[in-house]
Amino acid sequence: MDECQSAIPAHDGDLHVVAAAHHIVKALGTTKNLSDDLRKILIDLDAHLSLITSNIDCKGGKGFVEVEERLKRVERKIVIWESDRIMIWDSGPKEASDYLEAVDEVQTLIDSLRGLSMNENQKQKELLHRASSLLQMAMSRLEEELIHMLVKHKQQSEPTYIPSPSSQRNVVYNESVVSLDNESAKEASSKNSCSDECGEYIVDLVPEHVIPDIKSIAKVMFASDYGQEFCEAFIGVRKEALEQHFDILENGKLSIEDVLKMEWCSLSTEMNKWTWSMKIIFCVYLMSEKRLCDQVLGEFGSVNSFCFLEIAKTTILCLLNFGEAIAMGPQEPEKLLRLLDMYETLADLVIDIDALFSEDGGSFVRLEFHKLLEGLADSVKAAFNAFGVAVSSNGSLYPFPGGGVHPLSKYVMNYISMFPEYCSTLNLLLEDQHSDVASLVSEPQCGPTASLSTSCPMACHLRSITSSLESNLHKKSKLYKDEALQHIFLMNNLHYMVQKVKGSELRPFFGDEWIRKHNAKFQQHEMNYERVTWSSVVLLLKDDNPGSSSLSKSAFKEKCKGFSVAFEEVYKNQTSWCIPDPQLREDLRISTSLKVVHAYRTFLGRNPAHVDDKCIKHTVEDVEKLLLDLFEGSPRSLRNSRRMMKT
Amino acid sequence: MTGTDQSSFLGRISIRRNQVNAMEGYHEQEIEDLELFQKQLSDRFAELLSAPDDAPTEAFLSISWIRKLLDVFLCCETECKAILLMERDAAQISKPPLDRLIPELLERVVKAMDICNAVTNGVELVRHCQKLAEIAVSALEQKPLGEGQARRAKKALVSLMSAMHVDDKESSVQKTAERSWSFGRRSGNKDRHHGHYRSLSWQVAKHWSASKQIHAMTMNLAAPRGPEASCLPAPVYILSLIIVFVMWVLIAAIPCQERSGLTTHLPINKHVNWTHSLAGIHDKIGEEWKKKEKKGMAGLLYEMQKMEKLGQSLIEFTDSYQFPGEKEKLDEVAAQVAELAEICRRMDEGLVPLQMLIREAFHRLVRNRTEFLDVLEQGAPVV
Repeated sequence: MDECQSAIPAHDGDLHVVAAAHHIVKALGTTKNLSDDLRKILIDLDAHLSLITSNIDCKGGKGFVEVEERLKRVERKIVIWESDRIMIWDSGPKEASDYLEAVDEVQTLIDSLRGLSMNENQKQKELLHRASSLLQMAMSRLEEELIHMLVKHKQQSEPTYIPSPSSQRNVVYNESVVSLDNESAKEASSKNSCSDECGEYIVDLVPEHVIPDIKSIAKVMFASDYGQEFCEAFIGVRKEALEQHFDILENGKLSIEDVLKMEWCSLSTEMNKWTWSMKIIFCVYLMSEKRLCDQVLGEFGSVNSFCFLEIAKTTILCLLNFGEAIAMGPQEPEKLLRLLDMYETLADLVIDIDALFSEDGGSFVRLEFHKLLEGLADSVKAAFNAFGVAVSSNGSLYPFPGGGVHPLSKYVMNYISMFPEYCSTLNLLLEDQHSDVASLVSEPQCGPTASLSTSCPMACHLRSITSSLESNLHKKSKLYKDEALQHIFLMNNLHYMVQKVKGSELRPFFGDEWIRKHNAKFQQHEMNYERVTWSSVVLLLKDDNPGSSSLSKSAFKEKCKGFSVAFEEVYKNQTSWCIPDPQLREDLRISTSLKVVHAYRTFLGRNPAHVDDKCIKHTVEDVEKLLLDLFEGSPRSLRNSRRMMKT
Repeated sequence: MTGTDQSSFLGRISIRRNQVNAMEGYHEQEIEDLELFQKQLSDRFAELLSAPDDAPTEAFLSISWIRKLLDVFLCCETECKAILLMERDAAQISKPPLDRLIPELLERVVKAMDICNAVTNGVELVRHCQKLAEIAVSALEQKPLGEGQARRAKKALVSLMSAMHVDDKESSVQKTAERSWSFGRRSGNKDRHHGHYRSLSWQVAKHWSASKQIHAMTMNLAAPRGPEASCLPAPVYILSLIIVFVMWVLIAAIPCQERSGLTTHLPINKHVNWTHSLAGIHDKIGEEWKKKEKKGMAGLLYEMQKMEKLGQSLIEFTDSYQFPGEKEKLDEVAAQVAELAEICRRMDEGLVPLQMLIREAFHRLVRNRTEFLDVLEQGAPVV
């Protein structure tokens, strides 16, 4: 208000001019439909003019009578609330605006009193002092009103429109190769993701109608140089509110030591919670908090971003530290999907994080999250490699009973069938290791059918994993002493792999060429089985002298006996073997039946003379029926069944 | 210790190892490296110990002193790791007694990471105190000083004192804080200054205790004896001791979750030359801690202690201040306010870089652990 000083009239003659101007200002002030700004200017002007008047008056001995009167009036308005137990803003809008007006008036009086030269004027000093004390009282009160208002209107509602964590993938994968049936795998693959648009979840952290009140307090506190107090109070309440929201998300505060020592099951849950909390905290709460800060503090410059950072910092550090703890932990294969979730969540959020903390003060936050993203990327790669190593090195000491589908095949195929959902991320992260792997499993690309999906980094890695699985299965098959069982085992497992690829999102990444090849592979094992098991048995029925019409009775008897002994041996063994897939089992039975039953029938047909109950232990129908007992996984002995058939 | 000193030291080890590796005299060279390293350590800690107790800048336990300590820590860590791992066959690391000592070291490293995080949160509390002190300063700098401004200063200072004297344990009782918010002041107690109360969210984890962490870190931490004292166990011990020591100083200086019983004796071997100054710093801080512990306080940070004293004196002044006040008293107060303003300025300059430095130490510990694990697991030498 430096201009005011120069405006003080030099001699009494100007008094009339001042008085006239004052009169006009007062008259204008009563006009309705004035804008707030204009009214404020008029009020200020009014105060200055009256001061000038009184300053001139005091030379004449009348003192600051009018100023004192005005001060007394506002003093009453402000002091009266000191003894009141009710909050001003709770009392009503009229009370609130009256109070703000009174504070404005005090501020105006102070400005004007300061604007006057202090000509050793005791009265002026005293008035200024009184006004300043009054201002302090009002500011202290406004701070309390602010806190009360912020606390009272803290919205506690949980956002329900982002899918809750319970609908997220919660299937726990254990190293102990848990078998997953198709259904749980399907259920587990219903991946959900926070929409790409982070900003669409903004909520009112404080009801909209309260914002103007908070703003009006901010305005008057900043104008009176109490901005620091405003910020401390605002930060205090908002920070605590954010921490409460964070608590509601059930993030158990964990030290790094806790995380590193945690069992996989709990860790998996915590990783899920982190993914979820990151989305909620950034997309909902921090976005909304930023908007609240912008609304309340937007016009006060750098204070805005300072307050936002202060409010957010501790919660962010908490999230950051859990991420760090995960990124530094040993990257076991079972962590892969959770790590991918964490990576993808953060990768989606970094743009928003950069935007939220774009000011200098927030550079630390931006930097830390970028570092964490890199750390998680490395973790994903490490876990992916660990998965590959685990697949090829999974060893067993004993053959898998029955030759069925090995749990490792189930685990690997179910696990990798989740990967297509992370295709773009995996392609990005596996890019640099791509060339090594691509050269190892280049087969599908050679053909003219090679397409983009079969040659992407993820596809190459997937095929490299299944080829590790194949070689591991070959190793495992060698544990069987019976060669025929080796073929059954490989047939079962290769068939399973092909079925899994055909029936899932994996298909485009493996390609038809792969499927054809692997179909051929398991069919080869099927044929090999038949050859190894049945060729020698059928050979027993072969005609030694194709020229002669029939065998001698003893030779016939001998052949019959040989056949039934061999058949019974196969029966005893192979009823305990297992082909879990009904179609595959049926196919194999039919082709076996064709081969064996046909040979037997021909053999008997060629020797009708010798056919009687005594030398033939099994009729053709018996053999046909007995073949149906094979591969059911329940061992039977023919002696028993024979007896049973007779009784 | 300047950067060039350090790089020349690292260069020396690297060149030496390349030349002498697998030759005779290797062990003698190692002993020489170790001695040089210990000599440097000794110098650095001696410099830290020689810091003045009370000085406008670089005082013992001041923000700039702690930043220096962290610099020393980062240097030592790099050099120790160089001595242990550079150009070395991993087989040497996985042999006894190192197969036991290294995992123990890594457990300490993990605990130290949590301490770094706890202390980072503690610095936030110090910054909160700084903001409150700044309010008091700007109020008391007004001339002439009105009673209103004096009351304003007092309000900020009382909040400052209560923020400083919050018991470590209260941090785990957030609910109390919440309740105090939701009372209107109209319900009674007029003196409550809940306006500046800040919830203490520095918690690392439930039941986590800084002093227990230190205690656990000192377990099995014994100086190598006999022939071990001059070979690989020695740098492992040095690194462990420095990590524990630096973390202990941070906890003593900066507000942190649960610090009762912090005076735990650190097993510093005083018979070795290089630990003299380290032991000196330890004793000095330990005594100071014993004096202050009962009162419950925010930490031994020089600036905080200074702030506390000035704050108390200024509260007394504002309590009885009547406008316009005596000139003599006002001059005295003006000097105190100037001092408080200077402390705020130093906090303003130093706290954020300090926080960054603690974070850097944290990241360094993370990397350190990964490197050691790589050596242990893959059995491959780190270059």
